[in-house]
Amino acid sequence: MADVVVDSSPAVDDVTAPRGGIWGLLTFWGLHAWVLAYCGVVLSAFYIQFAMGEFPCPLCMLQRYGMFLSSLGALFVIMQARRGELTTARYAQGLGMGLIGVLAGASVSVRQILLHIKPGDEGYGDPVLGIHLYTWAFITFAVVMIYVGVMLMLMPRGIPHAPAAGSPLHKLSTAVIWLFIGVIAANVIAIIFLEGFAPVLPDDPASYNLIDQLTGR
Amino acid sequence: MDILIMILLLVIALLVWRGAHRGVIIGLWVVGVVAMIGLFRFHVTSVLDLSF
Repeated sequence: MADVVVDSSPAVDDVTAPRGGIWGLLTFWGLHAWVLAYCGVVLSAFYIQFAMGEFPCPLCMLQRYGMFLSSLGALFVIMQARRGELTTARYAQGLGMGLIGVLAGASVSVRQILLHIKPGDEGYGDPVLGIHLYTWAFITFAVVMIYVGVMLMLMPRGIPHAPAAGSPLHKLSTAVIWLFIGVIAANVIAIIFLEGFAPVLPDDPASYNLIDQLTGR
Repeated sequence: MDILIMILLLVIALLVWRGAHRGVIIGLWVVGVVAMIGLFRFHVTSVLDLSF
């Protein structure tokens, strides 16, 4: 009689796959940390823009798109988990969106790093803690790539599990989501002022295009 | 172009929050990625004088 190997692991898209527990909570809040971290990065960039008067170049803005596109993958998973509709397939789709988003952002970061890599080049903008913002951006993209890899390794045991609706943790999750949406909305307003009526951002911005165009400067 | 991409990202985030159909979300997200890569290609106007 032939040996029979019984695979006890859950099916790939099994909605009854074991979930919950410490792994489910860790991965759920890990996704929030991902979104929150990129909100923090972009708010820091706002501080540098508004308080220090450094305007974002087109490549800087493209890296923000990469951060938002990847965070949308995390948000997709968070919302599916909150609705109790998250399957392993949808979890993988969200992680895939996140991974492609950070790969796109990292491509832009690498391009900007290479533009300023030659000895004697002072780089674009002032460094923060000794490293330029585009290099920091690349580091964050690399961290998210590693994070996504670890999450994929933990599947299906680590499928995110949302806290009960109405609980304080559920409200905290809602606050993080609305912070993210608010940060994107703030970027919409900022970029309208930066770009004005031009088709794309200027290569080396030094003022707000919209104000210049409206005032005829 | 940047304004359109940022508005698209905001719309996608709101659709994800509202629980829109998965195909719509992923479809618009792909449009966002393609637009971003296209804009990146537009801004890359010089060859890096580097050898690897």
